Amino acid sequence: MPSKKIAAAYVYLNGKAIGTVENPLSLVNEVRAARRKGIVSGEVNVSFSEKLNSVSINADRGRIRKPYIIIEGGKSKLTPELKERLKNREINFNYLIRNGVIEYLDAEEEENALVALDEGAINERTTHLEVDISSIFGFTVNTSPFPEHNSLARHAMLANFTKQAQGLYATNFNQRFDSRAYILFYPQKPVVTTAAYDTAKITTHPSGQNFVVALSTYYGYNMADAIVLNRAAVDRGLGRSIFYKTYVDEERRYPGGQKDKFKIPQATADGFMGEHIYSKLSEDGIIEPEMEVSEGDALIGKVAPPRFLEENIGAGGLEEKMRDDSTVMKTGEGGVVDSVVFTETTGATKIVKVRIRSLKTPENGDKFASRHGQKGVVALIVPPEDMPFTAEGVVPDLLLNPHSIPTRLTFGHLLEMLAGKAGAVNGKVLDGTAFSEKGTDRIDNYGSILEKHGFEKFGNEILYDGITGMPFKSVLFNGVVYYNRLYHMVSNKIQVRSRGKVQILTHQPTEGKARQGALRFGEMERDALIGYGASLLIKERLLDQSDRAEVLICKECGSIGYYDHIKKAMVCPIDKSGAFEEVEISYAFKVLLDEIRSLHIMPSIKLKE
Amino acid sequence: MVKTQHNASHMVEYGEPVGIIAAQSVGEPGTQMILRSFHLAGIESTISTSGLPRIIELVDAKKKPSTPVTYIYLESRINKSFEKSEELLKKINEVRMSGIAKRVLENFSKGMIKVVLDRQELEVEGLTAKQIASKINKELDLDADVKEGNIIISTHTKNLKEIRAASIKIMKMLVSGIDGAGRGTIRRDEKTGEFYLVSGGSNIDGIMGIDGVDKKRTTTNDIFAIYRLFGIEGARNALVFELKKTLKEQKISVDERHLDLIADAMTSMGTIKGVGRHGLSGEKKSVFARAAYEETMKHLIHAAAFGEIDSMRGVTENILVGKQMPIGTGSVKLAIKKEDLAKIKPKQ
Repeated sequence: MPSKKIAAAYVYLNGKAIGTVENPLSLVNEVRAARRKGIVSGEVNVSFSEKLNSVSINADRGRIRKPYIIIEGGKSKLTPELKERLKNREINFNYLIRNGVIEYLDAEEEENALVALDEGAINERTTHLEVDISSIFGFTVNTSPFPEHNSLARHAMLANFTKQAQGLYATNFNQRFDSRAYILFYPQKPVVTTAAYDTAKITTHPSGQNFVVALSTYYGYNMADAIVLNRAAVDRGLGRSIFYKTYVDEERRYPGGQKDKFKIPQATADGFMGEHIYSKLSEDGIIEPEMEVSEGDALIGKVAPPRFLEENIGAGGLEEKMRDDSTVMKTGEGGVVDSVVFTETTGATKIVKVRIRSLKTPENGDKFASRHGQKGVVALIVPPEDMPFTAEGVVPDLLLNPHSIPTRLTFGHLLEMLAGKAGAVNGKVLDGTAFSEKGTDRIDNYGSILEKHGFEKFGNEILYDGITGMPFKSVLFNGVVYYNRLYHMVSNKIQVRSRGKVQILTHQPTEGKARQGALRFGEMERDALIGYGASLLIKERLLDQSDRAEVLICKECGSIGYYDHIKKAMVCPIDKSGAFEEVEISYAFKVLLDEIRSLHIMPSIKLKE
Repeated sequence: MVKTQHNASHMVEYGEPVGIIAAQSVGEPGTQMILRSFHLAGIESTISTSGLPRIIELVDAKKKPSTPVTYIYLESRINKSFEKSEELLKKINEVRMSGIAKRVLENFSKGMIKVVLDRQELEVEGLTAKQIASKINKELDLDADVKEGNIIISTHTKNLKEIRAASIKIMKMLVSGIDGAGRGTIRRDEKTGEFYLVSGGSNIDGIMGIDGVDKKRTTTNDIFAIYRLFGIEGARNALVFELKKTLKEQKISVDERHLDLIADAMTSMGTIKGVGRHGLSGEKKSVFARAAYEETMKHLIHAAAFGEIDSMRGVTENILVGKQMPIGTGSVKLAIKKEDLAKIKPKQ
């Protein structure tokens, strides 16, 4: 290409063009040097883009930045002396930043950098060095041991599961009124940790337990991501947790001087649900702590002024007409009142918070996951005597189906089992930080620890069938894995209905758990039944068990009539003949006809015979 | 064996909802189809649309396929020779002036247009400047001359607009080949060793007119081109063939009879109709069935304006009102009145 005279580069400060510069690279280098000397704030990032021919200097907020060790002239600025002083705790991380050893780069400046993963990879073009190789992963992936042995897709899943784990999210959970909280009874720190556990201090509020896991099937009960748990372990507190839910209500003020009042509603109140609903409330209309409550019980009794203004002036009664607006336990929920708080908002209205506690023992349908994106749902909790056991009498807490490993490529899971076992027999916490050791070396290390304690070096053992007492024909791989109990629990989701509420408009069943709803029999399900030619079954599903309605149809004009209870006669809105036929139609169709009529279109139904 | 499998006893029973079953049988594997799949290099599918977009195109009865392809087979006397095939290809290949011109120079003051020809292209197409000039004279009624291998055209006008219009016309002019036939390549059938042509156009009637083209085997993926040339039965067969081919490419096996049914339904009115709003579903007899599908208001208002009567014979409308649908177990009725039933006495 013919050499074009390079135009002066644009300079952007915080995204705004402020001028041009003849020699962009020298500007960038100057700013960088000043930053490293401490003349310019360390929060400033500067970069040159050849493609856009622009220099951008950023000092605004909201940029994601990451620390790197500076390399100059092919030499790391983190010299052996500094490392020694760092080890002796004479200096700290901030000292390194202040003295231009470590700097933070944002995404834009990263484009100008050539980062070496370790000191061995430094060459003359290298500009920076990773603080640690594991920092190429984010925080969530770094909480997983041996992530370098797992597939990328599993990392994405792991990141989600870690966020859903029950644990000790806050040590003052007793004083908190979170709308929903899950606390694990006996959280443990993992036998196999990573550097992230120390740096983020999550060992002080962990969110899982070390499970003894055997890779074994159990009569097909752990097929397809199901897991089998040991009843003895569950009874001793494995995975046991508590669920807190807070109900809040407030004495609101309304325009016109009216306001809500906490009290047990009088039976005359509009929407009064019946004496038994309020039976557990104390005199002030609020439930007492340690009271056992279940679905439908009122927690906070409250009356509110009527929604619409009515003529009750001079109705003679001191007692104003009030509406019941109590807070009631939602369907499917139950537990014990843990704590009740009565306080005031900034707007000087009374506010009540009632925290319900309920015990969640692992049961069929609860979800567990290891730190390798391996999730599973409890399918069976087996009595300890029926579980497989080792020669030493160790009974696994969890049986994981071996088929869940090969196709998912979560070899980190296997490595953690081995490391966990080695750590458990050795009584030491082992490190599983990404890239901290070669995989083969790890297997050798853990193997030698196991052999020292009289175990097979690859973690295999002969297991005995708990039911027959006979040894299994094959040795089984077992070890210790850190499992999270996730907050998806059946007891919070289960719902059944055989009959119940219907919608006002269509007379069809309601939808959703909160409304005791039914499951939708949708279009595709309808098509499937048509495909079978099951005409009566469709009629039953879509009509008899849904919105069946019997209407009177006028034989003369074909419009829908009604029965007048005063005149004791059937009436047609159009002609007076009074000849009717009772016809069964879906209520939704009646609504459709009404709507068509509202469009000034007159539909009429012609009947056969 | 084959005979017993297809005899009357294996026919679909009366009242079987074949349409729904066909829709489900094509629809379910359709969910597995990758929208725009990678295809292997060298295979025909590289040039034509495949997978779900192609199925949609066929079923919606698009007037022009997004990638028209014609498979031109040659008569046995020439199909073994590459040279003769090439010769025939040159007759078919659609060459326009813009394809062989290097540059066009318009002289507005003299009213002349000079077309600088690309010598290489000319050689490849086997054309001479003289041929082209005479063609311009004949077809566009202009004065064209050859000068130093280039074409000089005088337009006899000095009107800017007319000169520009003439030059556009010249560039669009068909120099050789068949209009709408596209440009083809020669392929060799590995099994029989014969050569055949694959072209990216669909002017099948033009191609059929060329001597040496095997009229029995030459075909295209343009359903409407086949419909125009061979009629509705041909279009129906082509539709089945294309559906089958597309599904086979995706390694999806659907029973042929489902595809037959779809093609039959689309062509039963004598023209090709799509299955959607503008085709079969939009032309159902029942007001409710149409209103339940798409454009509810349009159908209801139309029905009101013209006093339509829904005779309640279809599935959708009967489910809508809550009646038993007249298909499957609902297709049978008691032929005798209830009162008459009591009169029947068992034989002694």
